[in-house]
Amino acid sequence: MSNGVADLTANGSELDSSVFGDSLWGKAFLKFRRDRAGMWSLAVVTAYALIALGVWTGVWGTSWADVSGAKWAPISAEHWLGTNIIGQDIFERAVFSTKTAFEVGLVVAVLATVLGAVLGAMAGFFSGSWIDEIIIWLMGVLDSIPFYLLVAAIAFSLEGNPYAMHIAMISTFWIGTSRLVRGEVIKLKSLDFVEAARATGVNQLTIIFRHILPNTFHILLVQATITFVAAIKSEVILSFLGIGVQDGISWGLMIAESTFEVLAGFFNNFLAASVLMFGLVMAFNMFSDALQDALDPRTVSG
Amino acid sequence: MSDGSEILLSIRDLRVEFATEQGVVRAVDGVSFDVHAGETVGLVGESGCGKTVTGLSILRLVPCPPGRIAAGQIEFRGQDLLQLDTRQMRDIRGSRISMIFQEPMTALNPVFTIGNQMVDVLRDHEKMTRRQARTAAIEMLDKVGIPDPAVRIDEYPHQLSGGMRQRVMIAMALSCGPELLIADEPTTALDVTTQAQVLDQIVSLQEEFQMAVILITHDLGVVAEVCSRAIVMYCGSVVENGSIEPLFEQPRHPYTAGLLNSIPRIRDDRLGKLPVIEGMVPDLLQLPAGCRFADRCGRAGAICIESRPQLNDGAGGQTAVACFNPIDVQQ
Amino acid sequence: MEILQYSVRKLIAGIPLVLGVTFISFLLMVYFGPDKTYELLGKNPTPEQIEEVRRELGYDQPFLTRYALYVQEIATLNFGSSESSGELVSSLLARTIPVSIALITPGFVLGNLLGVLFALIAAYHRGSWADKFIMGASAVGMSISFLIAIIAFQIIFSSNFGLGLFPVRGWNVHSFGDYLSYVTVPTLATVFVALGYNTRFYRAVIVEEMTRDHVRTAKAFGTPPARLFYKNILKNSMIPIITRVVFSIPFVVISGSLLIESYFGIPGVGKVTFDAITSGDQPVLKAVVGLTAALFVLAQLLTDILYRAVDPRVSLT
Ligand SMILES: Nc1ncnc2c1ncn2[C@@H]1O[C@H](COP(=O)(O)OP(=O)(O)OP(=O)(O)O)[C@@H](O)[C@H]1O
Ligand SMILES: [Mg+2]
Repeated sequence: MSNGVADLTANGSELDSSVFGDSLWGKAFLKFRRDRAGMWSLAVVTAYALIALGVWTGVWGTSWADVSGAKWAPISAEHWLGTNIIGQDIFERAVFSTKTAFEVGLVVAVLATVLGAVLGAMAGFFSGSWIDEIIIWLMGVLDSIPFYLLVAAIAFSLEGNPYAMHIAMISTFWIGTSRLVRGEVIKLKSLDFVEAARATGVNQLTIIFRHILPNTFHILLVQATITFVAAIKSEVILSFLGIGVQDGISWGLMIAESTFEVLAGFFNNFLAASVLMFGLVMAFNMFSDALQDALDPRTVSG
Repeated sequence: MSDGSEILLSIRDLRVEFATEQGVVRAVDGVSFDVHAGETVGLVGESGCGKTVTGLSILRLVPCPPGRIAAGQIEFRGQDLLQLDTRQMRDIRGSRISMIFQEPMTALNPVFTIGNQMVDVLRDHEKMTRRQARTAAIEMLDKVGIPDPAVRIDEYPHQLSGGMRQRVMIAMALSCGPELLIADEPTTALDVTTQAQVLDQIVSLQEEFQMAVILITHDLGVVAEVCSRAIVMYCGSVVENGSIEPLFEQPRHPYTAGLLNSIPRIRDDRLGKLPVIEGMVPDLLQLPAGCRFADRCGRAGAICIESRPQLNDGAGGQTAVACFNPIDVQQ
Repeated sequence: MEILQYSVRKLIAGIPLVLGVTFISFLLMVYFGPDKTYELLGKNPTPEQIEEVRRELGYDQPFLTRYALYVQEIATLNFGSSESSGELVSSLLARTIPVSIALITPGFVLGNLLGVLFALIAAYHRGSWADKFIMGASAVGMSISFLIAIIAFQIIFSSNFGLGLFPVRGWNVHSFGDYLSYVTVPTLATVFVALGYNTRFYRAVIVEEMTRDHVRTAKAFGTPPARLFYKNILKNSMIPIITRVVFSIPFVVISGSLLIESYFGIPGVGKVTFDAITSGDQPVLKAVVGLTAALFVLAQLLTDILYRAVDPRVSLT
């Protein structure tokens, strides 16, 4: 609505001086606090993050690789979720995998978002120039190569590098963010405060990174959460295909392990990994939606 | 004031609410007025006072969600429109009551020709073959002053200028001979010359078709020129309602007086220092208990803060006004 | 005529994309891809033998020369036979692509149709319990990994622990009945996973169109709901819908569903390509990469022509 445009202008000039003191963020914060589903999902995500933190600092999940019981031991006080085919404790493995998920999610989300922001902002600021053309071309090319095949190709060309999967995901996941940022920057660059900065002869890169990019933070934040979810979901499939997590254990590897266990009637491994993963992805999706709602100046309830 | 002719539309205590994130907003709160057959009524007021919502309510087009008509009656020829089922309502829309909107650029369906859209409207409401409807549509386009209507009819909206599109809207709105036309700022989006032409078109067609018109506008000059009566709204309710001469010459509500003062006059040598009404429109979420204009009003007393004035009858050639302390006509 | 001219121009404009796709695939799959020197050598090769093989494979050529050769082979459709199986690449693709298409199409079509249907219900009853239920269910669906869905459906419908109605894996199709029995479980899993995303996407598109001014105008003129839906909402939503559907086609043809094919052991093109990447089977890779690039350029052309067909404001220039 016409309101949105007026709001945008106001935000633009205010945000320029201080990003977080602005009313957009203040309002978004209040709106988020009122969003019950959003607050619950944040609580769940935080709980998962604490589990991951505990694994990372060595408080728990340390014996995921130990063979500590019989093959396919049932649920017991000793093995809360039973054991897998070679007698490793499924609960320990599922807990440790939480850390793997966060590691993959965070690395990919942060780097892909940064890459998308930088390239998107460059393309948007220089829209119409050769810089823009090249970035658009690159996005088009990467979009036209089927994702799993690209990942496989990257994984094999890096010959077992444990970060092949991360690199592959980053090299495709930045595109969505980049397209959005490019569109937003094209809108922002015609606003007064940018024109003013330009007129006073401020360096172009300074304008892009100090004045324009901070105004796309709300997009970046939402995109980062979306990328995080996409990364965890892709990890499962890549690990199953054998081009995912190389050392350690992940929900994807547990599910891959379980594919023939389930045909033998043993479901613990499959269920443990699936349920834990579903919980995190679902909570993160809801968190992402709530965040998007809170940060969208146009949304009207209903 | 009425000229004694038959009452066509009668709105009583209309209340429309919107559910927003901050709470329920009463965009229209207790609006009542009548429209007589064949007359032209101006509905005026500041932006956001509820003019469009009132107009949409008559056709039950308030977007739902978030809006809903919470209370009131809207009687059209004695029949309460709010009680009709959706089928009956559809039969009235575009045939007995038509509405044209502010934005001619987006109001037409961009992926069909204007002829296609006009033929659909005609065939929805009249027993016509496709060919008959097309002929009628071309005739209507000619009437609203579209040059070359037999060619233009096969064009898409994006091929027409804003003024042309608004004429097409008018042609469509009048094609089934409605008894009431609601025109929501039909000229605001057009340039000045086109504005005058489109307005003249509406006036002359109104005479030809003998229909009543509710003209929603910001422009008091336009109201003075084409309307016989004006209804002034402020913050979701009617504050003054009366014939043009008394209303313009001796406004009784302080808000109306303020509005009239803020019209630029060519010969005013203090042009550029227009008197504006001091203060702000109250937040629809935190409406005062008393008169909504009280905190901007120079004449407000204790009672104005405590209770809400009701619209009086306006007998004796005066306008009807909702004010405890109206400007005295004799002054 | 207009369309023909336009197509030619568009195909020429697609050349940078083709070059990009071939370049990246060359870089990853050939230049940095598996080194095949030692596979072709006997035990204890002499340095001369190594040299010889590397020359045969073209490894001694400069980068750009190798890339030019790669592009030339793609352009002349000179693919030869698969290095791993010896089968002609053309017959390999002719055998596997139809399998992938047959495998994916039912799920793709159903997933989109049902997505539109649920999206319509949700959009028309915005804010009601039906909307909340549908959107809640699609949020749940979107949170379930494709792999998990496949395994769960396999357990439920195919395994002895569930209903045991369908074959557990494989693709042994000789009749339409066989086809149905092999395609059902993959289709269910595909629809289940796609439905959440599709419903959300289509609901957003439909809601956006429903709140447009011209929809309000149509209502103000008493347009009946069916025509309102077809003429004002659906016809105006066609551009995002066409984009989504047409750009999925190359993926359906090329990668099929790699995951389904791997999991159920179905010999489709996705699995074949994946294996070609892992083994560095260059003739197959070249063919698939060329096909991918070509399909994308065609998809772009097709979407433009379809945009023109549904929206008179789009001009083919
Ligand atoms: N879709 C909506 N959602 C929420 N609130 C709305 C909506 N439409 C209208 N309103 C509320 O109703 C009030 C009256 O709006 P309306 O459009 O009737 O004003 P108006 O008098 O026509 O103003 P203008 O002259 O700017 O057209 C607005 O202030 C707004 O708060
Ligand atoms: Mg209005």
